[in-house]
Amino acid sequence: MSSRRSSRSRQSGSSRISDDQISDLVSKLQHLIPELRRRRSDKVSASKVLQETCNYIRNLHREVDDLSDRLSELLASTDDNSAEAAIIRSLLNY
Amino acid sequence: MASADKLINTYVPEKDVFALHFLQSLSNLRTQNPLNSPDKSIDRVRKIKKAAYVSMARAAGGTSRLWSRALLRRAAKDDNKSVRFSRRKRKVTWKISSKRKRSNQRAPVVEEAAERLRNLVPGGGGMETSKLMEETAHYIKCLSMQVKVMQCLVDGLSPK
Repeated sequence: MSSRRSSRSRQSGSSRISDDQISDLVSKLQHLIPELRRRRSDKVSASKVLQETCNYIRNLHREVDDLSDRLSELLASTDDNSAEAAIIRSLLNY
Repeated sequence: MASADKLINTYVPEKDVFALHFLQSLSNLRTQNPLNSPDKSIDRVRKIKKAAYVSMARAAGGTSRLWSRALLRRAAKDDNKSVRFSRRKRKVTWKISSKRKRSNQRAPVVEEAAERLRNLVPGGGGMETSKLMEETAHYIKCLSMQVKVMQCLVDGLSPK
């Protein structure tokens, strides 16, 4: 282990992360992703976790897009469908 | 093992911090453009989307996270402004030379997936794989927080 560490620390001043910490990070990511949280077994490979992470991030981006769209529509509309909506709109200067 | 004792911090503020930043951002949008409402709905949507990302980056810690710094830098470049960063004690490399990245190879199949992740996380291109994963975890938490805030707002504004 120490020989591995010394060969890596040659490159830069920043501290090297061990492979243990990598797998720790991978399992942390696994807990964050709803898809993978259900299968609590440790049998999910690191690359699978990263792959699902990519998909999850893309989904989140898409949700932000969609919600921005709806917000824009709702804020621009002038029908006061509810008192709450009117309050929110006036708060935001619309 | 001393050098590997870096604490991995994925603390994310409460939802109301994100909500506050986003609401402020949204109300600022209107005060910038009081009399002439942007005609094109696409412009409106784009501005709201940008407000969402910028307010998220600010709520999540502004310049203390690599992904939020990259996001804010990108947004400022759009507006032709410059972002002031406080001097960090650690040397920040804007470009990671390919030699350094290569020397940090994990299993190639992991690196391949990490490459795709780098394209999705702001600022990911210059990050070492382990740092990338730490930043990703934080980014995901903040993104889902932001989505919740926006969903609440949409629910509040929607017809009952």
